[in-house]
Amino acid sequence: MKALYLFFLLAFISPLALTAAGDSHVEAHQSVEALVGEEPAEDSILDTFRAIFKKFDVTWPTLIAQMVNFILVAFILYQFAVKPVMATLDERQQKIAEGLQYAEEMKDQLAATERERAAKIQEAALEAQRILGETRDQAKEMIEAKTQEAAAQAEAIIRKASEATELERQKMLSEVRQEVARLVVETSAKVLTRELSADEKSSYSDAAAKELASS
Amino acid sequence: MQRHKKVIQLAKKMVVLSKDSAGVITEERVKEILAGLRQVQPRHHLLLMRKYLNYLRRELSLQTAVVASPATLSSASLDAIAQHFSKVYDRPIQAVAAEDASLIAGVRVRVGDDSYDASVSGRLQRLAERVK
Repeated sequence: MKALYLFFLLAFISPLALTAAGDSHVEAHQSVEALVGEEPAEDSILDTFRAIFKKFDVTWPTLIAQMVNFILVAFILYQFAVKPVMATLDERQQKIAEGLQYAEEMKDQLAATERERAAKIQEAALEAQRILGETRDQAKEMIEAKTQEAAAQAEAIIRKASEATELERQKMLSEVRQEVARLVVETSAKVLTRELSADEKSSYSDAAAKELASS
Repeated sequence: MQRHKKVIQLAKKMVVLSKDSAGVITEERVKEILAGLRQVQPRHHLLLMRKYLNYLRRELSLQTAVVASPATLSSASLDAIAQHFSKVYDRPIQAVAAEDASLIAGVRVRVGDDSYDASVSGRLQRLAERVK
């Protein structure tokens, strides 16, 4: 920034110096070269300067006016050119710094987010693994329970069918027994009715009456 | 209702009076009671007669052993049955023969609501029930 300022300062000084020097500048320059080429005395440095001023036709009013001009020009330049430019540059520099800082923060934040994302993914993977394991265990238990239940139901069905079959068999046997007994009784009654004579019936009845009376 | 109670009590007393000293209902006693009723003509005599008839039938059934048989029984058998059930029930019971061909052979005795079976058909029936 300072270099830029010096550049602008020299750019304005040069035309002023040329103006103050006037047309005698070339001649004075030659005289000074001549004088410098000689060996100056030790205590005549001031005289040398005076001679130089004289050769370059530098007068105090001109010098003061040029200085004032220079100061005014420098002040104006500083106020209306350098200062806004510097402010703009400072602002831009600050923005760049803020941008860089923001980028750095974003980078850190991105890294943190990336770490957090990785941690969450790992946590989610562990959770998914745990849920999957639990689901597998539950499915296994459910399958075992359903298998046992189905086996119990099948056993119950078989037992009921067996019981029903046994009941049916018992019922059929009972019916057969009843039918056989009925037929036997009916046949015996018919045979006895037909075969027993009246005397046999009478004697049997007397015997039964006596048996009943003696019981 | 009160009237019926008195009629029932009177009918029961008439049944008791119909028995002789041995506790047997006799025809003479019943005739005497009926003759007395004709003379007295009590109130509700028709109801009283019906009740007396019912109680008399019940008492006669309790004093009678109906011996059913497909053939004619001897008098000795009837007497043995009468004596046996008189001892069992501790009251005088008369044996009355009845014919029942469905018994095939043997006897079946009924005293009141009790029945004693010694017939062939009864034994076959019990056999059939045991087979079931």
